[in-house]
Amino acid sequence: MYSDKVKKLLKKKNIGVGDLVRVLSRGARFTGMLMPRPFSGDPDVVVIKQESGYNIGIKADEIELLETAGARPEHKAEQEAPKKGDVAILGCGGTIASRIEYKTGAVYPSITPKELRTAFPKLKKWPIHSRQIFSLFSEDMNAGHWRVLADEIENEIKKGSEGVVVMHGTDTMAYTAAAMSFMLQNLPVPVVLVGSQRSSDRPSSENEMNLLNSVYAATKDVGEVMVCMHSSTNDDYCHFHRGTKVRKMHTSRRDAFHSINALPLFRADYRNDVFEELSGHRKRSGGELVSRKKLNDNIAMVYAHPNIRPEFISGLDSYDGVVLVGTGLGHVPVNAFDDKTVTSIYQPLKELIESGIPVVMSSQCISGRLCMRVYTNGRLLNRAGVIGDGADWTPETAYVKLCWVLGQTRDMKKAGKLMMADVAGEISSRSVLEEI
Amino acid sequence: MKVGIEIHQRLDTHKLFCNCPSRLVEKEPDLLITRQLHPVFSELGEIDEASRAEYEKRKVFEYQVFHESNCLVEIDEEPPHTMNEDALKIVLGVAKQLHAKPVDEVHIMRKVVIDGSNTSGFQRTSVVALNGHLKSSKGTVRIPTIALEEESAGIVASESRRVTYRLDRLGIPLIEIATDPDIKDGEHLREVAEKLGMILRATGRVARGLGTIRQDVNISTAGGARVEIKGAQELKMLPLYVENEEQRQVELVKILLELRKRKALPVELNPVDVTSVFSKTDARLIRKGVDSGMVAMAQKLAGHKGLLGRQIQKGRRYGTELSDYAKLAGVKGIIHGDEDLSKYKISEAEEKGLGKKLDLGGDDVFVMVVAPAEQATKALEHAVRRASMDFVPEETRKARPDGTSSFMRPLPGRARLYPETDVPPIPVDRDLLASVESYESPEEKRKRLSKMLNPEMAERMMRSRNIHLFEKLVEKGADPMLAATTLEDTVVSLRREGIKFKDLEGALLELFREYNKGKFVKAAIPEILRAVAKGASVDSVLRVYRLQKVSGRDLGKLVEEEGYDMKKVMQKHRLQVDPAEVAEIIKKKPKKRHSEYR
Repeated sequence: MYSDKVKKLLKKKNIGVGDLVRVLSRGARFTGMLMPRPFSGDPDVVVIKQESGYNIGIKADEIELLETAGARPEHKAEQEAPKKGDVAILGCGGTIASRIEYKTGAVYPSITPKELRTAFPKLKKWPIHSRQIFSLFSEDMNAGHWRVLADEIENEIKKGSEGVVVMHGTDTMAYTAAAMSFMLQNLPVPVVLVGSQRSSDRPSSENEMNLLNSVYAATKDVGEVMVCMHSSTNDDYCHFHRGTKVRKMHTSRRDAFHSINALPLFRADYRNDVFEELSGHRKRSGGELVSRKKLNDNIAMVYAHPNIRPEFISGLDSYDGVVLVGTGLGHVPVNAFDDKTVTSIYQPLKELIESGIPVVMSSQCISGRLCMRVYTNGRLLNRAGVIGDGADWTPETAYVKLCWVLGQTRDMKKAGKLMMADVAGEISSRSVLEEI
Repeated sequence: MKVGIEIHQRLDTHKLFCNCPSRLVEKEPDLLITRQLHPVFSELGEIDEASRAEYEKRKVFEYQVFHESNCLVEIDEEPPHTMNEDALKIVLGVAKQLHAKPVDEVHIMRKVVIDGSNTSGFQRTSVVALNGHLKSSKGTVRIPTIALEEESAGIVASESRRVTYRLDRLGIPLIEIATDPDIKDGEHLREVAEKLGMILRATGRVARGLGTIRQDVNISTAGGARVEIKGAQELKMLPLYVENEEQRQVELVKILLELRKRKALPVELNPVDVTSVFSKTDARLIRKGVDSGMVAMAQKLAGHKGLLGRQIQKGRRYGTELSDYAKLAGVKGIIHGDEDLSKYKISEAEEKGLGKKLDLGGDDVFVMVVAPAEQATKALEHAVRRASMDFVPEETRKARPDGTSSFMRPLPGRARLYPETDVPPIPVDRDLLASVESYESPEEKRKRLSKMLNPEMAERMMRSRNIHLFEKLVEKGADPMLAATTLEDTVVSLRREGIKFKDLEGALLELFREYNKGKFVKAAIPEILRAVAKGASVDSVLRVYRLQKVSGRDLGKLVEEEGYDMKKVMQKHRLQVDPAEVAEIIKKKPKKRHSEYR
């Protein structure tokens, strides 16, 4: 946004972004197309794109209009209806399917079916249809969006889609993948969430390879929710991770997504028709899709840390459930040795549970299984009714699962039982030595 | 004819968008990664010519990673850091020298480059200052823009489907100085390039050594087209590139006129599989290809007879131009009917067979490629696309060492720059400008140097890429004349002997420090450097090779042993004694020794 001073100059001459202008600045003159003001920098500085294509920032004394830009075509999101036998591509925004307006450099997190086919000509290999559901950065998504997405996927499956690919931002893709895994069970087709770490406005973006591998996998004999991302920094293979086991483990690398306490399900390269199974998976079933889409979004997640205060925990009583991200095998400060120097959160946790608010444990270690029987600390939490002993879920999956469980039942006992049951591959029975 | 030049010079500071050192690594790479690039479409579903040309090749890029000089930024796995402010200040300092006006805010742009030389698929670049100028013997040359950008990766190997680059170079800051087409001719071009080079070197903040400066020459002729010749390394070659390009364009225009007269344009695309013509061929190239499953694909160029063989530059014919285009499809080149076919061992019968198959008339000529069917068709499509151009195309061409040039890609269009949203714009405010160093102009530097060196050496030093190191040595107390001769003569001749310096700067700093302590004499310097080059310390070299200076009582004794004969002393002990000191002792030679016992 430009400053009021610049806006005034622009208004005086009725100048808008995209117009060809001449900027007068301390006796010198610069010609170029008026650009929108980027988010950062000095709002007094006018940005113009010179004929050479370079943008420069100039402090303007005066701005003259040379030529008005023609009217911009409206960007209308067309939609394509489900079609039997196709792969459905659903857009939720995110880096993978944004488009750039070359004139201004603005990036929009949405893409029409036509743009999708133009951007990825190789999609021609498969029959597809596509729809934009949201145009959001994934960090803005919440349980409301999960419900809409689950409805859309269910609709696609019922209309006979061969498989469903969901283009999604990477930040919270693991949460959405877990949510879909719990909400849509007994899947008759694959549901693949796919993102990219490099934005689609770069020729190096891995979006093309990830998307094409996803569509390729959506035609395979799989009945699971999966996440498809690069397996390494190379553009060679993609990994497909189970929706409840996957986690983003790096802020920026292409191979940020890892299966936690599990192997990826598949390794794929559509170019060479490679779809290699790395661990056991569920196949497409003839049976009916089991749709259990109710969620409770009133759940808190708390990262345990030194100096955590009891009042903070007691303040959680307006939530319907709490997920703790504890230390080590599943610990928080509970003062097992009754030491005078310790501040314990045991009492408020116990009170939360007694008041009917389930508390679920997960670990900051991310990798490994919870075991609240080894140390007194854990035993105390176990006895107080903290749920999770023996689970090997990620904190995010534990969180989504509690949202889902408390959408199914508010009964403490039933909820505890359902939490500890393996619903969608989120709790594995064996911890195998992972080596890829 | 209009001529302009763009100079790219590496700066002596860390990388532009990360904190890796701007250091080229001599070791083997620590890691190899492979990537592919794909063109980014504009919202109108268009990609520009240059991107399309590269995408056609659909190459795999292999990158050599060096932990010492690379981090996640260069392998496109981490967003760029903020711009190196030191680099920006150097550029602002040069802008001041060239009377250019800094922008109020530097905006970093992405310039799409999908030949793989940037892992991201674009080069980050920014205009820092505008509207400068340079005075020259043939008038003022305008300098519309001075830019700061990142260096690309260095190419290691290129095959048809796979290109290998090294990443140590990627991201080194470059200053780009572009002139308007105000340059009058080749000699003028050389003068301008030299002047700009001196201004850059006079800052003491630019990188030294081979490949640290590159010149791209823009040439356009009346009736011809604008062409950019990239990668000219040597100043003295610049006039030749201009001359050859002018000739090329003149010849191309002549060929065009002839083609128009013959009504030979456009050329209809009609590739024909002619493999059967060569079923019993002695032509190894064709035989080998066909045996490995390739086809011979040919195309008629109606009305082109004789023109493909027409020379347009030394050793390059019109056919070479078509061949360059065909190479876009990844083939090695083309064979055409204006060539001496016997050199391929293509028989007359086969030539006739070809003519029949393609229905060649007297004015027609064929072009042919041997490649896998799809690739061969693509290659002919490119060649025909070039042949059909009813104009001289705008091109980016590669400077060849012999002064000619070859086609690289179409001249990039304008739609290739868009904002680098990962790096915020940088305000060029009063604080920043106040912290910019005022660099010496070449005139000032020349004046200062001539006070410490003789005129000839001062001029040599002005043109030397060692000037920065020279100044550093003098600043640390080295005798200017000795430092200059060591750098310009001794080191140069040692290098000619094949001696490589691991750390020249470190070696010389130590050398002159020890010299100033009187530990050795000038004459020993080449011997010492020979050993120091490998990494030994000066002190240990002196001891091991017995090169310590002899003086005082020891020198007296030594001179006495040689019978006070200057010639004898110097013959035997040249590397250890100072001739002046020897002369002094000889002068004081005791009259008669036995007189003491009188």
